[in-house]
Amino acid sequence: MPTESGGLQLEAVSHRYGRELALEGVSLDIHAGELLTLLGPSGCGKTTLLRIIAGFIRPTEGRVLLEGQDITGVPPHRRPVNTVFQRPTLFPHLDIFENIAFGLRIARLPKDEIKTRVTEALVLVRLENFAGRRSHELSGGQMQRVSLARALVNRPRVLLLDEPMSALDMKIRLEMEVELRRVHRETGAAFVYVTHDQREGLALSDRIVVLNEGRVEAIGTPADVYAAPASPFVARFVGDANVIPVEVIALNGESATVKLGGVTMATPARQVPDRGPGWLVVRPEAVRLSAATATSETPLAGTVRDLAFRGSSFSYRIEVPALDEVFKVEQPAELGPPHELGSEVVVNWDAASCSLLPRSQA
Amino acid sequence: MQETTQRSPLTAAITIVTLLFLVVPLAIVVLFSFNDTASLSFPFSGPSLRWYRDVFSSFEFREATTNSFYIALTVSALALLLGTLAAYGLSRSASRRRGLLGLLFFLPITLPGLFIGSALLLFFSRLEVGLSLFTVGIGHFLFVFPYFLLIAGAAFSRLDPALEEAAADLGASPWLVFRRVTLPQIWPILVGATSLAFALSFDEFVITFFVAGSDSTLPLFIWSSMRRTIDPSINAISTLLMAVTLVLFALGFLLTLRNQRRSGYADEAAFIGEER
Repeated sequence: MPTESGGLQLEAVSHRYGRELALEGVSLDIHAGELLTLLGPSGCGKTTLLRIIAGFIRPTEGRVLLEGQDITGVPPHRRPVNTVFQRPTLFPHLDIFENIAFGLRIARLPKDEIKTRVTEALVLVRLENFAGRRSHELSGGQMQRVSLARALVNRPRVLLLDEPMSALDMKIRLEMEVELRRVHRETGAAFVYVTHDQREGLALSDRIVVLNEGRVEAIGTPADVYAAPASPFVARFVGDANVIPVEVIALNGESATVKLGGVTMATPARQVPDRGPGWLVVRPEAVRLSAATATSETPLAGTVRDLAFRGSSFSYRIEVPALDEVFKVEQPAELGPPHELGSEVVVNWDAASCSLLPRSQA
Repeated sequence: MQETTQRSPLTAAITIVTLLFLVVPLAIVVLFSFNDTASLSFPFSGPSLRWYRDVFSSFEFREATTNSFYIALTVSALALLLGTLAAYGLSRSASRRRGLLGLLFFLPITLPGLFIGSALLLFFSRLEVGLSLFTVGIGHFLFVFPYFLLIAGAAFSRLDPALEEAAADLGASPWLVFRRVTLPQIWPILVGATSLAFALSFDEFVITFFVAGSDSTLPLFIWSSMRRTIDPSINAISTLLMAVTLVLFALGFLLTLRNQRRSGYADEAAFIGEER
């Protein structure tokens, strides 16, 4: 099912519920055919943004453009945009075939074409044998696959997915992720995926948009946003991070010298314009642990306070008194047996994999 | 959900006695409507349809029955139309307005028929509206509407608004959403509520008594013929009235039940809170 796709733009979109500001000046360019994730904690405005794109909410300010055409005031039933909702919204009085055919029947397509397209859609979500079933006979994962087929059968320019997997258990979610990537490749429509689950966001998307308190905090490919977080919030929300307060004492082009505890070290600097207080973002997997010896007298010495086995790695919490920090550390399991609870270790990291941020925001 | 409860023999006895108390008088009426003789006491002299023949040959009976059907049909059709609109509107309006309007709509249910009847009588005479089937219709509508609204309102509020949103998202205009998604889910309840409205109107007596003027309805006819003589044909009429009412109540009940069973899935799906 090749879908003709086009870009969707949001221009300075703001929305208020009464006095409460849900979105503030969000501008976004959704490319044709991409899989874009809106990622953020609950209450960050991501669902509001999705409902604005679908047409259920008219934004207080700003414009929504589809292929250059202003659709801000167009009601949902006249937009070439379809939604897969958070929980299954299959029509209980119709069987699966008729559920999927709903949009095509509304559009008064010829019967043969409806039959062909619904059958194609059923094949696409691998539910060929379910056409005659009723929704209550399906599992949660199957219902959401029907929802997906019901939306895609209309060949929308943009498909919106509002946390469609939040009600499914982990195993089915992982399977659905694979399915969703395949369906996205096969249809070529732009997918806008809303989630608060950063793992899902990183795994699925071409690009992610991190939202916080109604504002866009970061846009980029998952790898970029992860490697160079735009703010401490993004660092903590996308992946796991140690965000350490540091003092920038010297700047030298692409690198900076920072002081933390009693230690000075060089670190790459992309976003720090000036000397002064900053944040150093250290990913848990960039940290190396070594056993403390009697002679090592480094302020980066600490004590193992927690240890959990994660299959391919060990996950630690290391209390470092000199920095007044508890470090989150991931060590690959193949590095050998873990450091025991309560043992003394030295914390180290690869400076190149850290990010330095100005301390203007928390 | 299945529960097993211990039932004491006393509970069973009370239930049986209560049911007998409710059903036996009705059964006697039905039985004697088929009795061959005019006596209203045992022994039962033999089956016959003579009272039914008598009844159907009476012009007054036929006129009263026609009137009753006419009023009940009009009133229940109006209740269906206005009640559906009101219930849909109430279920989609802000909670504060819904509370106040709902209270006003349901007020007539709490008032005794005697009060509604006398109030209407005063009202109509003030406005110098002559008493007729028209005023009976108004009185019945007043009486029947809250019941319809109660049932239809409950049905609408059980519907999942997310389904209507999904339909709009799939391209359905507000009218098509109502016709293709909302109505198919609740029509059995609407039909049920309409037949209940019909039954309520068909055997309404108290309000009718006040506002009927010189016109007659079936319950009024029964009452006036009983004032004259105790005639076994009353049994036949009552049996007919009962049959009509029972059939309609049963229809309404069955349709409501069927709909509840079918919508079982909606409860399962409502397990997640939605973020705005």
